[in-house]
Amino acid sequence: MGAYAIRRLLWLPFLLIIVTFITFTLLRFGPGDPVQVWLGQHQNDEVRQRILDELGLNDPIVVQYVRYIEGVVTRLDFGDSFRFRGKSVAELMAKKIPVSLQLNLAAIIITLGVGIPLGLFAALRQGTGIDNVVVAVALAFQSLPVFITAPVLLLIFALRLDILPTSGWNGFFSPNIVMPAVVMGVPGIAIVVRLVRASVLDVLGQDYIRTARAKGLAERVVRWRHILRNAMIPVVTSFGFTIAGLAGGTFIVEIYFGIPGVGLFTIESLFQRDYPVLMAFAIISTTLFVLANLIVDLMYPLLDPRIRLGAGHVA
Amino acid sequence: MTRKNCAPLLITLLAGLALVALACGGSSPATEDATAASGSADAGSSAASTPAAAAPAGSTPSAAPTAAMSESSAVATQAPPVPTAAIVGGATGAAIDSGCAPSADLTFDNRPPQGGTLVRLFADPTSLDPHQIGDVTSSVVVSEIFGGLVTLGLDYQPALDLAESCAISADGTVYTFVLRDNARFHDGRPVTAQDVKWSIERAADPDTLSTNAQNYLGDIIGVDDKLNGDATEVSGVRVIDARTIEFTIDSPKSYFLAKLSYPTAFVLDRQQVENDSSWLDRPNGTGAFRLGVYEVGELIILERNELYHLGPAHIESVRMILSGGSAMIMYENDEIHLTGVGIDDLPRLLDPNDPLNPQLHRSPQDFDVFYIGLNVAEPPFDDPKVRQALNYAIDLPGIAENVLDGRVSPARGVIPPGFPSYTENLRSYDYNPDLARELIGQSKYAADLESGDFPRITLSISGSFGAAIPAYLEVILEQWNQELDIQVDIQQTEWATFLEDVNDRKYQMYALGWVADYPDPENFLDILFRSDSQNNHNNYANPEVDRLLEMARTERDRETRFQLYNQIEQLILDDAPWVWTWFSGEGYALIKPEVSDYFLLQMSIPKYRYIYFNQ
Repeated sequence: MGAYAIRRLLWLPFLLIIVTFITFTLLRFGPGDPVQVWLGQHQNDEVRQRILDELGLNDPIVVQYVRYIEGVVTRLDFGDSFRFRGKSVAELMAKKIPVSLQLNLAAIIITLGVGIPLGLFAALRQGTGIDNVVVAVALAFQSLPVFITAPVLLLIFALRLDILPTSGWNGFFSPNIVMPAVVMGVPGIAIVVRLVRASVLDVLGQDYIRTARAKGLAERVVRWRHILRNAMIPVVTSFGFTIAGLAGGTFIVEIYFGIPGVGLFTIESLFQRDYPVLMAFAIISTTLFVLANLIVDLMYPLLDPRIRLGAGHVA
Repeated sequence: MTRKNCAPLLITLLAGLALVALACGGSSPATEDATAASGSADAGSSAASTPAAAAPAGSTPSAAPTAAMSESSAVATQAPPVPTAAIVGGATGAAIDSGCAPSADLTFDNRPPQGGTLVRLFADPTSLDPHQIGDVTSSVVVSEIFGGLVTLGLDYQPALDLAESCAISADGTVYTFVLRDNARFHDGRPVTAQDVKWSIERAADPDTLSTNAQNYLGDIIGVDDKLNGDATEVSGVRVIDARTIEFTIDSPKSYFLAKLSYPTAFVLDRQQVENDSSWLDRPNGTGAFRLGVYEVGELIILERNELYHLGPAHIESVRMILSGGSAMIMYENDEIHLTGVGIDDLPRLLDPNDPLNPQLHRSPQDFDVFYIGLNVAEPPFDDPKVRQALNYAIDLPGIAENVLDGRVSPARGVIPPGFPSYTENLRSYDYNPDLARELIGQSKYAADLESGDFPRITLSISGSFGAAIPAYLEVILEQWNQELDIQVDIQQTEWATFLEDVNDRKYQMYALGWVADYPDPENFLDILFRSDSQNNHNNYANPEVDRLLEMARTERDRETRFQLYNQIEQLILDDAPWVWTWFSGEGYALIKPEVSDYFLLQMSIPKYRYIYFNQ
């Protein structure tokens, strides 16, 4: 398993090279440049070209790219921000990452905390009206995009009832986190409910459940230890995708609720053509995606001893 | 592959999902709240008091990255010590003729109560390097920490800072400054003429990457050579002795002193900058405050400079919270001393029975103008009659009142009220749909309009991914449609791309605003309308205007000069290269009763030193 993880991780640098090269190239071919944003309405081509030269932004793309990668690899230097001049990207990102992580964590807690029990509940009452209602409601929430749920929640809880703040960030344990976390977490509930429900139904039909019941185990023990644990595999699979989805979701949610995390920062940096920050974002999100999937794969054997990772050519 | 072709691809890849959502979510109320909350009190109030996002497409971004001095909201908790209007409007050339004597002596003689800490919300400056910055947020902080030979007084006129005197040669091209003998850096080292010279040369050094050096220092002989790497020194700056320095400019320019008050000309400590790569963490400036603490995204603390040559500040420190928060709530909880007031809170605060009502202060309008630019090289705007008709066909006072809640005033010229050279005696455009129709009927496009072959018009505005179209623009378009039967499409472009295209004069019609950089009419009329100016985005060229602009540039008598500018403004109005829309209106701010002399100003000039606590 260790060897398997290492082999998977060895792919990461190659993946990063591809992703960063594409991002790097596209950024520089896109319209506008950071110096133009600096100059704002005082455009002056002479000044602009001079500063682009000084910054090395007029060098051939490959030269710029190699210089960038060299800095990252040899000195762990992600460059300085163009927007906050003189501040390093690492310093700026270090302020933003914890915020986004906490928000994602809160959202995941909501997704799994609500989704798993509901899925189990629905499965155990398969075919009844309650089962249908649970699935239908979960699906409805999944179908609602964030840019619908966010304003509606804002309208109800911030403006009408006035019990939650509209925006801002005050750490994990504050009312500010509630609405964004709900908005981010709720759409995933339907996926979890359906997965849990389907796989619980599958497990219910297995012989070992009948055996467990037959040997007189308490229903509670049967449900939690035998049914749920075996039904978790597909849920864990989807968990990786949930994380990937949350990374995308943070853009919208962070903008909407004014949360100073990676998403908001990245969008602002996009508008300001802050190339080094955007590059750092590409590296961070690629790495997170790869790691999340790796962790998911590593968790399979823990849940189902029949699965062996990296055996022969199978993996 | 061309740059343009891959733009969509780039954006798709980078922000994929987010963009789709943004297209529908746009800049939501929540986002604005967030801005107000995390931004400075001033920024917050500006978002509320000006038509802000509402209005001038691009006004929000335009205010930030470009416009130099205006600190958004402004007036005094009490009347400024000098009657503003009198000086701004009528100080008869004192600043120039009598050898650039300052309009006001900024040295303290009276001593109100000492001590205390002013707490406010603020936003992260983009940098604290005076020679690099170009945005309002940064210049607010930087101008408290650093200083230069001259600054602006509370009347927005040049006043002496590090210099104790200033003289201009008879031909108006040589400025001689003598430094104060008590002018010192924060660490106590005296400021010398060498420091000034080195600082100007640093600002003009290509390595400094200054976006403003050309703008603000380009009049000095030799700055261009230095910027282009053709010279190691700036020949127009000459050290006479340790305390005397001489600037030579390329031709007499009445606005030179005003430009010299900008941070680009601030004096830095050479030893520190050259020897300490992290000097910006503890800059050794000459300002009224020194930087005590700066934690990005968290906090700035400014501490009183006891050695300050104009007299130390009354308060001990200023605490600027950068981590955001809900400004109104923090104000009501006594966590901060001042905040801008958003439109949502205003009705409640205007009620005389509200406990906070007595703490509400009006802040004067910014020095800005918003407009719809017409590219006079493109049909149908190559016919002045069409341009005039568009101006006559819109009911600006009605829109200001009904759509923008009176937060703006209709722009009747280029120069905003209260700004030097402002006059009410201009022939402007009053709402007159009949005249508008008549003008269109006389234009060369009259037949086309009848037959439906009228050139297609597209209005370009800046805005990110489906941000709401300002309501006032929709009404203007509707009025053109109703009164003149002219249809206009709206095209929205993200700010950086908008800048590039507007600069390349690609737009047929665009909405934009301009905020004053320094208090001189040249900053509006010359920069925006001279035929060869890079900021002339609509191909406007009137030889008579160019000729008069050249005369005004060098005219040394203030009255005559302003009359020339009035004449120019009238010519521009008649030519109608713009559809004039707004000057921003007054805003509101809340200031705690114990805070005295917090002046709400229209430009960002050093002002924390005036504040004192009266309890």
